[in-house]
Amino acid sequence: MLALTIYVLAWPVIVAGVAFFIARAFISEAREAKRNGDPLI
Amino acid sequence: MNNPETVGFSALVIILLLVLFYGGTFFVSTKIGQKNENADGYMTAGNKIGFGISAASMTATWIWASSMYASASSGYTYGISGPIHYGLWGALMILFIYPFGKRIRKVAPKAHTLAEVMHARHGRSSQLMLAGSNVVGSVISLMSNFIAGGVLISMLSPFNFIQGVLAVAGGVLLYTLWSGFRASVLTDFMQVMAMLGAVAIIVPFIFFAAGFPAAFETGAGNLTAQQSNFFSSDAFLNQGAPYIAAVLAYAIGNQTIAQRLFAVREDLIKPTFITATIGYGAMVIGVGMIGVLALYLGFEPTGGDQNNIIPEMAMSYLPGILLALFFVMIIGALSSTADSDLAALSSIMMADVYGQNVAGKTKANPKTMLLVGRMTMIVATVIAVCLASLQLNILDLLVFVGALWGALVFPVLASFYWKKVTNKAFTTAVLVALLVFIPVRFELIPMTGFTAVIIELLAILGIGIVLGLMSFGFFGLRVALIVGTVATLVAAPFCFGFLRDYTTLSASLVAYSVSTLICYFMSFRSKMDFDFSVIAERAGDFDPIEEIVASATKGSARSNDSNNSERNE
Repeated sequence: MLALTIYVLAWPVIVAGVAFFIARAFISEAREAKRNGDPLI
Repeated sequence: MNNPETVGFSALVIILLLVLFYGGTFFVSTKIGQKNENADGYMTAGNKIGFGISAASMTATWIWASSMYASASSGYTYGISGPIHYGLWGALMILFIYPFGKRIRKVAPKAHTLAEVMHARHGRSSQLMLAGSNVVGSVISLMSNFIAGGVLISMLSPFNFIQGVLAVAGGVLLYTLWSGFRASVLTDFMQVMAMLGAVAIIVPFIFFAAGFPAAFETGAGNLTAQQSNFFSSDAFLNQGAPYIAAVLAYAIGNQTIAQRLFAVREDLIKPTFITATIGYGAMVIGVGMIGVLALYLGFEPTGGDQNNIIPEMAMSYLPGILLALFFVMIIGALSSTADSDLAALSSIMMADVYGQNVAGKTKANPKTMLLVGRMTMIVATVIAVCLASLQLNILDLLVFVGALWGALVFPVLASFYWKKVTNKAFTTAVLVALLVFIPVRFELIPMTGFTAVIIELLAILGIGIVLGLMSFGFFGLRVALIVGTVATLVAAPFCFGFLRDYTTLSASLVAYSVSTLICYFMSFRSKMDFDFSVIAERAGDFDPIEEIVASATKGSARSNDSNNSERNE
């Protein structure tokens, strides 16, 4: 039962980690673009 | 079991949610809108997108509403390993194509579409074959996402299916029309954040609200032995294996992926693809777990339609605020793919049809190209809405397009590495592969006797070719040949007399093997000695250089300097 619980709930945890990773990169790039006076895209 | 009571939304709440979602994305897209957009920016955003946006966009584009529904359906049908056999293979395909992506980008650093590169490499017939398959695939994908939106809105609110389709189509067109691909990738970031955030909250909430982990024990009787087995052969043969064959083709043949490959800064291709692999896999498998939970609960979707599993589980176990989050998650998934399809279609019409075949590369007017791109988006939306209202069987259409792309995989990839591949070999290989695929897939020929043996032989070769191609990207020709040969020999004793019962899988594999054999045997004696360096010259920017420079801000030079110094580090 514990193994199944971990199996089901591990994915949302990984998803949260990826969201954090992408958001951090985006914010850093947005700041750099602003600092340099560049458009983000 | 009796399904629990469900909740939905009033018309006012749905309108508010749609206005918030599409209004918000439109508002963000206006922030990057330029009065005079340039054609290259409209197609690939200047080939220098950063990691955060490109990783978000690649993830968002690869995830569509159907992938969530299908993953849950796989969990419900095949049990605990079901979502793995949907999500893991799809995710790994993103990873497997990244070495090819690096090669493609190296050969054609400023291209806009893969078809445009095929024009530079071979000529018109190869280009139009790939572009045509891209157009059909993107229109079907667009239609499928509109259908998913219409079904969801009609299920959760008093609005009907057609009203839902129109709301989604109008919303997507609203924020994509003016800035094209640039708007698509920027809004992808917002949409993927909403999707990932929603999964991180909703799956655990449903898990506990539905009485898990105790329900694993009380509901164990609802699972068959195969469904309880993590190494279920049923799940692999019916779901995993056909999917492995199909998604490699999707990854190569789908212009939405190619477009992001050409847009991301070249040194960021690897981290972008790796992040998208993990993000896609975790998200789709995570949502698929809702199907597994439904199976343990003995949940019965309305009308036996497994596409109802996710929305009905959400309506049964989520409170209003989380149901709204769920709604945003699905609308985000289908909108991010739909806007990518619109951007892909417009690029194909701009670069492949107008740029290369109507006006010609040197005479193409960037302003006319922009007009062509925007008109394409409007026409494609109208066509997709009309097709969505017919509620066609999209699965059959997708299988057909998947096979078309399967027939293209070897000829396309070989064209980037092997100097001997000719236009005639490319075109003949694809056409013959399709001619063999169709009767096998739709069982127009009896799979018995000598015919079945030949088809199985080709399918077994197809297994070796798929695995060989995957190895080739990472390890080169020698390892690919070893892997392909060993895989074929190992598979042969198990597959003869067996694959004939799995026509979907056999047909996809046959498409690979026939196109590979014909392309190889028509090319290996050819005297063609293609110079790959000419592709970069033939498939480049359409905008005049002064316009590109003028549209860039004065800070661009500093940014490039910083990028170069990062590379040097």
